[in-house]
Amino acid sequence: MSDVTLYHWEPNANSGKPMLALMEKGVEFESHYLDLLNFDQHQPDYLAINPQGTIPAMTHRNPKLGDRVLTESTAIMEYVNAAFPGPQLMPDDPKDQWRVRWWMKFIDQWLAPSFSMIGWSVFIGPAVRKKDPRELEAAIDRIPLPERRVAWRKAIYGAFGEEEMKESQRRVAVGIRMLEDALSQREWLACNEYSLADINGFNSTYALPLSQPDLANDEKTPHILEWLRKVYERPAAKKTWAMGKTDMVKRVKLLERS
Amino acid sequence: MALVLYHGAPNGPSLTALAALFETGHDAELRPIDLTMAERHSDKLPHNTETEMSIEGEGPVLVADGEPMADSVFLACYLNDTTQTSPIAPTDAFARWEMMTWCRQIIERVAPAAAYLGVKAHLGGKLSSFSDAAFEKLMAPIKSEDLKARWNDIREGVFDDEKISDSKAKIKAAVEMVEAKLGDGRDWLLGEFSIADLETYAWLAGMRDIELAAFEGATGINGWLGRMKARPSVARALSLATTPAPQEVWAPGPEINRWG
Repeated sequence: MSDVTLYHWEPNANSGKPMLALMEKGVEFESHYLDLLNFDQHQPDYLAINPQGTIPAMTHRNPKLGDRVLTESTAIMEYVNAAFPGPQLMPDDPKDQWRVRWWMKFIDQWLAPSFSMIGWSVFIGPAVRKKDPRELEAAIDRIPLPERRVAWRKAIYGAFGEEEMKESQRRVAVGIRMLEDALSQREWLACNEYSLADINGFNSTYALPLSQPDLANDEKTPHILEWLRKVYERPAAKKTWAMGKTDMVKRVKLLERS
Repeated sequence: MALVLYHGAPNGPSLTALAALFETGHDAELRPIDLTMAERHSDKLPHNTETEMSIEGEGPVLVADGEPMADSVFLACYLNDTTQTSPIAPTDAFARWEMMTWCRQIIERVAPAAAYLGVKAHLGGKLSSFSDAAFEKLMAPIKSEDLKARWNDIREGVFDDEKISDSKAKIKAAVEMVEAKLGDGRDWLLGEFSIADLETYAWLAGMRDIELAAFEGATGINGWLGRMKARPSVARALSLATTPAPQEVWAPGPEINRWG
């Protein structure tokens, strides 16, 4: 039995970050799939592990201290890199490390929420709305964090205002420009080495050529497209995305070079 | 390593960066700028994408060997990781995860709330006295549209009731989080003194006057606030203040989470 168990949904956004980091490090882990759309993450057996009911979470067995629980996907990635042998996913240079962290924060807190506001209105809202309304309300009531209850309600009932969606679309356009600029200055997103910033960024942007075809394509953003293909070519990325079950993440196949 | 720190009054993110600098013992040139007058965007200091688009809002900029860097927690990590001894961050991977996760909670929940309540109490009045033309001139070099929108809201006195009550709740929750940690009688939040103490103090110190009720009956936090204030690095940072109450100096901070 493995010392590491990862509780995750699809290789996408937050769940995909520690999945890919573990794969890159060559760490064996037990995969515990939670169906986000079935609200598995708010069921008592998972809340016993992560009372906040957010995905992903990871447990790592310590011989003296037992299973230690880790949450927050970006912080989990830094832990995975530091705690296990295998290839370094943080550059040696402290300024490069700063740039890795800056980009991860920018993506986590500014760019990815805009992507997901659009993604939820396209994928998750319509998928979940097919459920029985009373069952759905009960499921929302079980969400432990009040702000997550608000976010789920907005996503499920398509309650994002026009202004909010417009602002998200504006941010997506700005963010795509910033990614293209950064990737035209250096080999990888934060520095000249592959790092956690690339793992983080890829998880939010792998489907860009399909979801934002007018903004991200071979003509307008050649560096983004090349970068996405380079990441997906990595054996660890192939293995990670092979764990996907939904059509949403199978969009990654568009990155295969012909 | 040539370091220049452009910093505002010792409160919020500038306090974190200044105290981290003094904790780590680096030699740096200090250049004060007025964050409340949007001076971070002026030609007094160098810029790049990362400083212009920093989602910390108006915070300090550390220039290391010519490269400007922003975001106070990561500046503190940089200052720590360029020492031999890691004085303000644990070297054990799990303890480091605890510190980074704690700081993320502060960055994402507490900082936007504190900045919102802080500018409402202390910056709005100052900005409303500017003529349109003078204010426009201050705003012109700001590259981040959403940061500019926050400046405009403050000047026009647009403060959303929901955001105010959400911010008050976040400050209360932060005080409870700190109390819970200190419950076993420890001196510092995560056991050993770390960047988590600096970042938490930097955002909460100014809240005691504004959100009195949140601190009522909280016994642990008051002792901890006192220990923090007395720490030589923090005391030295506070001694750089040019006004008698630096905890009342607030500039627009990170935005409140758009997802609710």
